[in-house]
Amino acid sequence: MTALLRTHRTDPAPFLLLAPAVLVMLSVVALPLVFSLWTSLTPYRLTRPETIGAFIGLRNYIRLFSDGAFWAAFGRTLLFLVIALNVEFLLGLGIALLINRITWGQRTLRTVMMFPMMFSPILVGFQFKFLFNDHIGIVNNALQSLGLIDFAIPWLVDGRLAMFSIIFAEVWMSTSVFAILLLAGLFAMPRDPIEAAKVDGCNPWQVFRHITLPFLMPFVYIAMTIRSLDVARAYDIVKVMTDGGPAGRTELLWTLIARTGYENARMGQANAMAYVSTVLSVLFTWYFARKLIAARRTMGGAE
Amino acid sequence: MKRTLTALALGASVAALGSVAAAADYGSFPGYTLKVKLIGGAQYEPLYAEIGKWEEMTGAKVEILSRKNHFELDREIKQDIAAGTLDWCVGSNHTSFAPQYGNIYADLRELIPEETLAGFVPLVLEHSTVGGRLVQLPRHSDVSNLYYIRSLFENEDNKARFRAEYGYDLAPPETWAQVKDMAMFFADPPDFFGFQFVGKDEAVNGRFYEMLVAEGGQMFTDDWAPAFNSEAGVRALQFFVDLYQAKAVPAGVPNYLWDDTGLGFASGTVAMNLDWGGWSAFFNDPANSKVAGDIGLVRAPKGSSGRRTGWSGSHTFSITETCDNKAAAASFITFLTDYDRQMIEARKGLLPTRTQVWEDIKAEFAAAGDDFMVMVFETFQASMAEDAFTPPLIPEWIEVSNVLWPRLQAAIVGDMTAQEALDVAAKEALAIMEDAGYR
Repeated sequence: MTALLRTHRTDPAPFLLLAPAVLVMLSVVALPLVFSLWTSLTPYRLTRPETIGAFIGLRNYIRLFSDGAFWAAFGRTLLFLVIALNVEFLLGLGIALLINRITWGQRTLRTVMMFPMMFSPILVGFQFKFLFNDHIGIVNNALQSLGLIDFAIPWLVDGRLAMFSIIFAEVWMSTSVFAILLLAGLFAMPRDPIEAAKVDGCNPWQVFRHITLPFLMPFVYIAMTIRSLDVARAYDIVKVMTDGGPAGRTELLWTLIARTGYENARMGQANAMAYVSTVLSVLFTWYFARKLIAARRTMGGAE
Repeated sequence: MKRTLTALALGASVAALGSVAAAADYGSFPGYTLKVKLIGGAQYEPLYAEIGKWEEMTGAKVEILSRKNHFELDREIKQDIAAGTLDWCVGSNHTSFAPQYGNIYADLRELIPEETLAGFVPLVLEHSTVGGRLVQLPRHSDVSNLYYIRSLFENEDNKARFRAEYGYDLAPPETWAQVKDMAMFFADPPDFFGFQFVGKDEAVNGRFYEMLVAEGGQMFTDDWAPAFNSEAGVRALQFFVDLYQAKAVPAGVPNYLWDDTGLGFASGTVAMNLDWGGWSAFFNDPANSKVAGDIGLVRAPKGSSGRRTGWSGSHTFSITETCDNKAAAASFITFLTDYDRQMIEARKGLLPTRTQVWEDIKAEFAAAGDDFMVMVFETFQASMAEDAFTPPLIPEWIEVSNVLWPRLQAAIVGDMTAQEALDVAAKEALAIMEDAGYR
């Protein structure tokens, strides 16, 4: 400590050089966070700016802890995250492995694969809302025309089917994130261990299970971290397809938070919800970061 | 200022007589830039193509800061209120949204001459008034009436079977009880449905609210306690529950909004559809609709109280209190809602807010031999003049609306009984009203 102070006294250059970065970080990250944390301790309403000064302590948070609808949305978002991430991972891995195998047209396929990501989530929401419309939607009409069903499946009304439909739309749009990152991993993979394994008599499954997959795992966890942050904030697709309904069956954290903050103009309460919901993102990020470190260690042969 | 207002009044009177707008004087504001935030979307854009004419007449420029849908615009305006950045003059508004914004908008009775306002339908101006202040000038209105497939009602076999089953003649319904019978009669799921309704967001609240009024109920008591969980409320909600449980409406209705119901009726697989006037031209266009040429239209039916449903709202323009040139802003919104501009919008099927435009657009369609559009404007004119009513014009309406619609859905899909659903919603709505200091 003494050494540090002495350094500080004698050589302010490092601190001066760091100062711009620190100032930028403070103004674009820390200040908004502190501001929103403060509003979560007030009854702040967007349409009544004067309410920002009324400190009410933890009342918004206490109210949240007894709010069944919030916790139901919390649980639903968790479920949504787990299912969407795993399905996207499996599909993305499959696509990456397949694309890695082909030699002709690979670049074109890689580009085509990215098309869904180029659509706005709102557009994707509308697209799937009409595909899954029970009456005039193409899915039911196709199933009925093929004689597979003689009734209308209420895709966006039944609780489980509605969640399935939303997850389907989310997976359709974002699986390519996994595919691209895993494909990058496959490209970066050295050929020697695989060839050595083949010489040793390993079958394709053993090569995949013990060499390819461990090498890919750091890429998987990076993709998982990025997508978990995205999926935990899922809003546009859900807003368009069901708006959390019917009867709250597909309500996720951010449809609830956005309605509270903007439509009801209760920004203080919405920010309290947002702070609690970030716990989810922090937990997922922490979990995947730990897994990433472990996977890298394994890959480096440390364990 | 006085000269401008006189000129405005003169301009409006001339327009009201049906003369061309070129004769109107909208004042002179050379070099001034008027900042505006407008609602965007295909059906609203033709009006904005006219803005250049106002700029040419007045020497002012219009800077459009935003052109978004109403929900995004609402969000942006709330952010402006919060950030204190109301540095613009004119904003698109809506009768359902206006009460939320407090006193950010000016009282137009102080800015626009009485002679100009006299050209508007009085009931629509009344709906545009919040807390005794005219905070918005109506651009066009919306109310719903009942479209039906005419041939179904004229079919002799249908008539005979309906009479045998229900004991009265099959004819375009006059009451909602008849709609229910007829919807069940026509339904043949999953291929054909008797009726449909929008089932989520503020849309389903509007449908419930108008049925509540038609059943003789009210949303709030005189001292602002929620009163929609009354017997009339249960009857109103039960109407939707019964139709849903009987599969007389598509299974997806709890997730339907206007595009779903509009496209559903145009697909020719729904017998009756309560919908806005703006869909009329679409429904009768063979390129878009399988029921073109086979559409009947009657005024929205009556509930058990004898009153017709008539949930209504208007798209409007407002002027901010912080505007630095209210005279220019008043001139601009007067121009956007004048006779000629409303005729342009009415030709697209939007319902005008000026009395004279209602008459003249009908005459224009009649002269062109478009009997269908004449019938549309006659029906909608009657309901705008006699049946229309707005949701409660209080800032808390949207918030109350957001606790109500999920409960309405819960009753419709069978998670709760109508009474349970309304009781829970009433309890939550009461907390909102108490928080807001009404009680």
